[in-house]
Amino acid sequence: MLAADFEVERRDFAVRIAIQLEGGERVAVLGPSGAGKTTFLEAVAGLVPLTSGEIRLDQRRLSSAARPRSDIGVGRRGVGLLRQNPGLFPHLTVLENICYPPGANPGAATAAAARMGLGTLLQARPRGLSGGEAQRVALCRTLQTGVQLLCLDEPFSSLDRPLGLELLELVRQELEGRGTGSLLVTHQLQDAQAFADRVAVLYQGSLLQVGDPRELVLRPKTALVASLVGYRGWLRRGGRLWAIHPDLVQISSAVDGDGAISGRVVGMRPDGARIDVELESEGEWVGRFHCPFSEAPELDLRFSFHADLATVFSGVESDLD
Amino acid sequence: MTIPPAPTALRGSGVRVSTGAALVGALIIWVALLGPLIALLAHLTPSSVVSALRQPGAFQPLEVSVLASLIALGVILLLGTPLAYLMARGRLPFPRLWEVGVILPLLTPPLVIGLLLIFMVGPATPIGEALSHLHLTASDTFFALVVAEVYEAVPYYVLGAAAAFAAVDPELEQAGALLGDGRWRTWRRVTVPLAAPGLATALAVTWARAMGAFGAVLIIAYHPFGLPMQIWVTLQETGLSSALPFALVLLVVALPLPVAAYIWSSRARRRL
Repeated sequence: MLAADFEVERRDFAVRIAIQLEGGERVAVLGPSGAGKTTFLEAVAGLVPLTSGEIRLDQRRLSSAARPRSDIGVGRRGVGLLRQNPGLFPHLTVLENICYPPGANPGAATAAAARMGLGTLLQARPRGLSGGEAQRVALCRTLQTGVQLLCLDEPFSSLDRPLGLELLELVRQELEGRGTGSLLVTHQLQDAQAFADRVAVLYQGSLLQVGDPRELVLRPKTALVASLVGYRGWLRRGGRLWAIHPDLVQISSAVDGDGAISGRVVGMRPDGARIDVELESEGEWVGRFHCPFSEAPELDLRFSFHADLATVFSGVESDLD
Repeated sequence: MTIPPAPTALRGSGVRVSTGAALVGALIIWVALLGPLIALLAHLTPSSVVSALRQPGAFQPLEVSVLASLIALGVILLLGTPLAYLMARGRLPFPRLWEVGVILPLLTPPLVIGLLLIFMVGPATPIGEALSHLHLTASDTFFALVVAEVYEAVPYYVLGAAAAFAAVDPELEQAGALLGDGRWRTWRRVTVPLAAPGLATALAVTWARAMGAFGAVLIIAYHPFGLPMQIWVTLQETGLSSALPFALVLLVVALPLPVAAYIWSSRARRRL
C-alpha cells in the first residue's frame, strides 16, 4: 500500500525514512519530541518536499525528488492528516464542516457523524465544542474524503488521557471498518501499542527499529530503543549493559541462583495509586533503577530479581552515551 | 467589541478617579469628532437642501462621484486583493519594499500625489501617450478622476485587507487543501469568508476615501465635477450656505455603506 523511501533535509538533521505499509495496516511512529515524526507525516501528506527518494501509495507515485518533480497535490493524494489543532472552519456548522470535502455525500456524512456521537451537534458552531468533540468532527470530516491512508499527528495529546485513549479506539474502529491504513505519531508507548499493528521507533530522523508492539518492548535492538520504549533501569556487570523494564521486575525475598540481581530498597515516592520504588543493586551488579509497586516496601528491604528478565546489550559503552 | 469588566481587586478609589478622567477625555474626543456633523445639521434647513438640489444639474456631481468611486473600488478590489493576500502570507520577495510602495501614497499629501500623477500619466508622458491610443486622457476627464481616486484610496484597502488575511490561520487553509480543495477553492471557501469582516471594513473605508478624494482630483481631474469638487467650487463662487447641502449629500451617500459594513463586520466577527 504505502511504500516510502525518502529523505527530507531539516535545519538540524535529515529525516530518513524507509518503510512499507500493507493495505489497512496501522503503524505507530514512536519517538521523543523533535525526532522528525511530524516531518515524516508532512512528507507523506505532501506538505514538505523530499530531498531524495520517493513515496508511493498503491503504485501511485505521490512524491519524488527526482527531476522532473512529480508531486501529486496535497488534497489529491488519498492521504488525510489529523493534527492536535482540529482545524475546524469557524464560519461553518459541524455538519457543513463534515460535508466540506468536495464530493462528500451529506447522507453518509450525517450517518457517520451520528455513529461518532455527533448527532446532536450538527448545527453547532465549532467554537462551542469541547476539545474531544472538535476532534471527533475533524476525524469524521477527514474520513469523508475517502482517504486510503490517515496520518495522525498526536491529535489527542491535548486531551485528558482517558478521553484521548477513547478517541484513539474510535479511530481504530473506524479505520478497521473501512480498511484504511494509518500512521500514528506519538510519544506515548501506551497509545502506540493500543492503536497499531506495528510500532516504528524514530530518533533524530532515523528509524531505529520497526516491529510488533510487544516484541519491540521485549526485544529492543539497542539500548537507545530500550530507553525509548520504557526501560528505566541500567545496570552494568561484566562489561555488559543490562536494561531493566519496570513492568518486568519481580521481587522475591530469597536471593537465589546464578544470575539473580540482588539489592535493597533505597527510596520511594507516590506515583498515582502506586509507589515508585528506587532499588540499588549489590555485588557485581552496578546501578540503580525504579520500579512501581502496589504496596510500599520497607526501606533497606533486600530483594532479588532474575537477570533473565533484563535485556542485555554487549559492551558497557552503549548508544545511550 | 465587548470590553471585559476590571477585576474586583482593581476597583479601588484611585482606579475610579482615573476611570472617570479617562471617560471625560473619551467624551471630549467623541463630541469633537461628531462636532462637524452636528454643526452641518444645525446650519441646514430642509428648504435650503431642497432648493440646492432642485438646481439644474444638481445631481450630476453625485452621479459622477458614485460612478467614479464604484469603478475605483472595482479596480482596487481586483488589483489590491491579490497584493494584500501575498503581503499577508509573506510570499513576495523583498516584502518591506512592497510595504513601502503601499504606504507611500498614504504618507504623501494628496495634492502632491496629483502633481506627481501629472508627471506620470499626463498627456506628455509615455504612459499618457499609450493611453491616448486607447482614447483615454488622464487629465481633466472622468478617467483622470478614477485614477486620482484609486491613488488616494488604494493604501487603505490594501493595508486593511492584508491585516484581514493575516488574521486567517494558515493551518485552516492547509486543512482546506488536505480535504481536497485546490488553492483557489480553499481561498474562496475558507480564506475569504474568514477574512470577510476585515475585508468589509477595509472596503468601507476605501469607499469613503474614494468618494471624498479631493487633493489629487483638484490637480488632475478638475472636470468633470464630482461632489467634493462641486462643494469646493460652490464654496468659492456662492459661499458656505450654498455648499452645505452638497456636503450633506456627500455624507448621506458616502457614510451608509461604511456604517453598514462596520455593523455587519462586528456581528460577523462575533459569530466566528
